[in-house]
Amino acid sequence: MSAPKQDQLESLGLSASCADVVRHLWDYLDDQLTPDGAARLKAHMASCAKCRGYSDYQSCFLEAVAKLRAQFDAPDSLRSKLAEGLKSEGCSCWDEVTKAKANTNG
Amino acid sequence: MTTLVSPPVVPAASTAQRDAEFAREALPWLDDVYRFALSLTRDDADADDVVQETYLRAYRSWHTFIPGTDCRRWLFTICRNVFLRSRERQRPTVDLEDGEQDALAAGSVYAAARENGYDDIYARLDIGPALREAIDELAEPFRSAVTLVDVEDLSYEAAAEIMDVPIGTVRSRLFRGRRLLQEKLASLAAEYGLTPAAAGSAK
Repeated sequence: MSAPKQDQLESLGLSASCADVVRHLWDYLDDQLTPDGAARLKAHMASCAKCRGYSDYQSCFLEAVAKLRAQFDAPDSLRSKLAEGLKSEGCSCWDEVTKAKANTNG
Repeated sequence: MTTLVSPPVVPAASTAQRDAEFAREALPWLDDVYRFALSLTRDDADADDVVQETYLRAYRSWHTFIPGTDCRRWLFTICRNVFLRSRERQRPTVDLEDGEQDALAAGSVYAAARENGYDDIYARLDIGPALREAIDELAEPFRSAVTLVDVEDLSYEAAAEIMDVPIGTVRSRLFRGRRLLQEKLASLAAEYGLTPAAAGSAK
């Protein structure tokens, strides 16, 4: 895929020097860029308020998604069923399934 | 779930040790496996079945787990296989050249949001419930990519192994998923007339 077209960049209110940030910010935030590439993006953002704003926006989005991890757990009914299943498999630690839950709650 | 070979006879002491290892290494990831199963099945009852089968399979094949490696990754791989088998599904064939168009489209979403004064919705509001719903509505394989990397915080490499695709494919699926989520949330913000004034921002 070729570089973003100039009119696409202009419609975003960006100069050509911001193009790398738009194209690679996610790679940068995901720590997937080469050290050189990351340093280049970082240097540009240090001097470009527009790109910093975009970076903050994308960081907040990723943080909001990451927060979902803490928001829902396996239901107790599933834990009980799994404990029964492991018990019938002969697993001597079957009751740890429900204990683990108690620990995280306490 | 039939085994082709009978399990080796092991002394009682080592069985107890194995069980304790299993409890220590595998069970703490139950919530994580459940969330992943739920993102695959999008159905509570189906997720329960997939998790149950995943853990029973993990227990039966605990001898194949290599100590010191990432147990959550191992469980997620089993989980995905259980799910695929339960659906008798082919591997998803949606593939994208790269993530550039999606990254650019996300930039457009941001530009529009800034123009309309809701570019700070992710910082300002608890968008958790809307976000979770939007992820549920994402099509596969984008939903799995977002769930594994962005919710469960796995590396691209781990997600690639679990989804059985190259790392570049994880990236393109992830970027498409993020773009679709941001478009969805931006359209929700517009729909509810969410502006700085409406949301009580002092900006």
